[in-house]
Amino acid sequence: MSTRLKEMLVVAVMTVFFVIMYWGKVDGWMTGFQFSFGLSMTVVALIVVSLLVILYLTLQGKMIGRRVVFLYVGISVTLPFFMSLSQQIKISPEVQTLYDGIAELPPGSVVLSAFDYDPPSAPELQPMAESFFRYCFNNDLKVIVIGLWPQGPQQANMAIEKVMLDESIAAKNLQYGIDYVNLGFQTGNEFVIQRMGSDFKSMFPTDYSGTPYDELPLVKNVKNFSNIDYGFNFSAGYPGTVEWVQVAVDRYGLKMGAGNTAVQAPQCYPYIRSGQLIGILGGMNGAAEFELLTGTVGKGTKFMLSQSFAHMIVIAFIIIGNVAYFRGGRKRKL
Amino acid sequence: MFNCRRKSNGLCLSIFIVAAICSLSVSVKAQSETIDSTVVTDTNLVVAAPPTSVIASEYKYDDAEALELSWVPSIDDQLVDGLVLAYRVYRATNGGELEMIEELTPGNNNFTDHDLSGDSSYSYVVAAVTVSGEYSSNATAAISPEREWLNYEKKWLFLIALFITSAIMYFIRTARKKKLFVRKIAGLEAIDDAVGRATEMGRSILFIPGIQDMDDVQTLAGLTILGRIAGTIAEYDTKLFMPVSRSLVMTAARETIKASFQTAGRPDKYHDDIVTYVTDEQFGYVAHVDGIMVREKPATVFLLGAFFAESLILAETGNSIGAIQIAGTARPAQLPFFIAACDFTLIGEELFAASAYLSDEPRALGSLKGQDVGKALAMFVILIGVLATTIASAWHVEAMQTVVDTLSSVFSTK
Amino acid sequence: MEHFAIWVAAFLTMGIFSFLYKDNAWYKLCEAIFVGISAGYWFVTLFWDNIYGKFWVGKGDDSMLYIGAFLGLLMLMRLVPKIGWISRWPLAFIVGATAGFYLINYFSSNVMRQVEDTIMPLLGPDYSAGAYDIIGNIVIAVGTFSGLVYFFFSKEHKGAFGATAKVGIFFLMITFGASFGYTVMSRMSLLIGRLDFLFGDWLGMIK
Repeated sequence: MSTRLKEMLVVAVMTVFFVIMYWGKVDGWMTGFQFSFGLSMTVVALIVVSLLVILYLTLQGKMIGRRVVFLYVGISVTLPFFMSLSQQIKISPEVQTLYDGIAELPPGSVVLSAFDYDPPSAPELQPMAESFFRYCFNNDLKVIVIGLWPQGPQQANMAIEKVMLDESIAAKNLQYGIDYVNLGFQTGNEFVIQRMGSDFKSMFPTDYSGTPYDELPLVKNVKNFSNIDYGFNFSAGYPGTVEWVQVAVDRYGLKMGAGNTAVQAPQCYPYIRSGQLIGILGGMNGAAEFELLTGTVGKGTKFMLSQSFAHMIVIAFIIIGNVAYFRGGRKRKL
Repeated sequence: MFNCRRKSNGLCLSIFIVAAICSLSVSVKAQSETIDSTVVTDTNLVVAAPPTSVIASEYKYDDAEALELSWVPSIDDQLVDGLVLAYRVYRATNGGELEMIEELTPGNNNFTDHDLSGDSSYSYVVAAVTVSGEYSSNATAAISPEREWLNYEKKWLFLIALFITSAIMYFIRTARKKKLFVRKIAGLEAIDDAVGRATEMGRSILFIPGIQDMDDVQTLAGLTILGRIAGTIAEYDTKLFMPVSRSLVMTAARETIKASFQTAGRPDKYHDDIVTYVTDEQFGYVAHVDGIMVREKPATVFLLGAFFAESLILAETGNSIGAIQIAGTARPAQLPFFIAACDFTLIGEELFAASAYLSDEPRALGSLKGQDVGKALAMFVILIGVLATTIASAWHVEAMQTVVDTLSSVFSTK
Repeated sequence: MEHFAIWVAAFLTMGIFSFLYKDNAWYKLCEAIFVGISAGYWFVTLFWDNIYGKFWVGKGDDSMLYIGAFLGLLMLMRLVPKIGWISRWPLAFIVGATAGFYLINYFSSNVMRQVEDTIMPLLGPDYSAGAYDIIGNIVIAVGTFSGLVYFFFSKEHKGAFGATAKVGIFFLMITFGASFGYTVMSRMSLLIGRLDFLFGDWLGMIK
């Protein structure tokens, strides 16, 4: 088949796909689409069998293309959205200690939350942020939001808007400026944290929407970290948890926990052992555990099945890849 | 002398009654002075002794913004559980009115008052609170917070940093006089080979200095290596292109390449378009670099600097186009991908060592040797410390415990 | 309007996904839009949040901001080739200040504190540690020590020193393996996020 024909075929398939999807959405037949348990198990069995076939082909010396791997990963992530299967979540010690640290705060405590991530990391960190706000608002904790990443405060606003729709939180009639405040983004990375150690206001003369610092009742009397009862950092890289630990925790003694993307969680684990962090939520798994502890079901819990399926597929392809590698190696030696 | 027996009973009684009324009124007055706003009519009056020895003192090593308050808890708090409900701390600023600033749980005997000003004086009163009211201590003497210039708690941090800095300076001086030994770093010779390969194939070289700004030492190390590579590239007349995600890096990279081309005697080959700014946005940058990698198909890709989530995407795309890839970063989380997808990887500090080695700069080489002194110190302390603490805790050897205590006090930053 | 925005976002997401098949015009379009919009977004954010929001609004309270603004202006001297060299001063300030700041931070948090925490009884206080903890303690102590040996550049990796360095690289590779696992998890989460958008927000298939 010529390349031109292949490309036209792809475009045709995509067009048909779009038309079907649009029709499904308008007609509503695919809303809340769900496989039965039996069908779910059948799909899983089919995937396992096809992987065994790929393994067999690899042993025969027939290598599969990288696009097949992409396809399998895509399928393994997508199918669990529609499966009637559930997964048990186990609480890890670092999530438990983090939760215990927040749970012991009395009502009225001031919590500083630093949003150091942007939309690309939202799938991992947004569920954490939502359950964090949900917990704080339900337990009358006052929340101050700041961001060392430009889009961080925006992510915080999205999470707040979402949890405000909860009946229990809507009933509390929380007031901006009194119960929570968003001070916005400030450039300067760890130097911002350093300055906040002596004066918050110097770094955030106004809030997210331009209201002067002194006109916000919640922060009017907050001068520096000594007025903060607990710090929570949502971090996707630099500046992030490492910088908060180095400056806010080690220099100013802030009690702190962190929610990290899975990529950078291993880098922060030494800080738990040394007591610099009270706990960590690592990736979507951490988000799901935190949701379980705070008694909510969010996207962390919902997508754990997809995550686990994808992991199994990756492990399967690591095995297949190694078989291919060693088989190729043996051939070369011969 | 007044003697009731010698006077009439009536007079005696009258005097007694008057005296009783007077004394009662005095005692009521006195009590109302001591226990302000206390409910005295209640028969279940719960009286507690006030806290004693309340002392306001200077808070050590601050910026004139805090004072420390300590007291001996009410004796009733110490003897009877639940009698004292709380302690309230009152503060008077510049001799003004007392205002409550904090309520603490029973058992507390100290409090640090922050957010003060060095220009004002403060006096404190601590009151024990029972169900019946408050029992206040005497006011402390007025005191103003003072600023300390040095934090002596950090003296060991300072001394060790000074020791290592001195070692670095010593080695920089030595490096200016003679060549210092640095062990061979695997993969360094591959850099020249990779440039040569691109030349032979008649294809370009792509250099990515990470996605951090000039304040990241990894970016600096990447640019130092670029300086060395650019010279060879100019000699071989190979095409180099370098998309960057920070404007400052663009400026610095242009200067580095320009200088290298000049040193190599090929200033005519330099033009600003070698280095182009794309966007600060991480994935926007990655989308662009991925695209040009596939379109330009460089023969060699250098990934040297601070990388984050983009490391895997870039290394994988480079791998898929069959380029020779030389990577290096000090971000531990990104190293696995470079190791998996690149031909040579400079792990962590090897990136800095390679930049020092290749540049042959006395400052870089001296810094590397000086840091080795720091590492040797850390190795020594860990070895001695772990052995000493294991022996001390298993066999209770006092001398070993002394060693451990000394090391802990030196290295403690808590 | 929101409906339209979701369709545009879905179109762009699938355009970027199309790169998995091969480089194509759809991907090129999405790439150009992404680069252009993100560069513009950064510019607008930095202008309104910093130059206006922080400097212009806050300059009355904090005169130090003028120094920052002055250094920023010096950076712009680059636009005038004759005096372009002046832009090196603020650059020198940034590099110098950051180096000093990092020295203390990293030294205190990542060196002193971690060395202190590595000094621990391998068998636990009074032999109290279980087998699992003892192994954990040994891994931490040996791993840290041998890792430092690997990154010691003043001595050739030969003999006992070389063997210890080999142990160090062995530990590093195990760390990288664990880190790799975590990162795969992270990447999968990002993919899940995008697919959740496509199947949930766009097509409404996920409740």
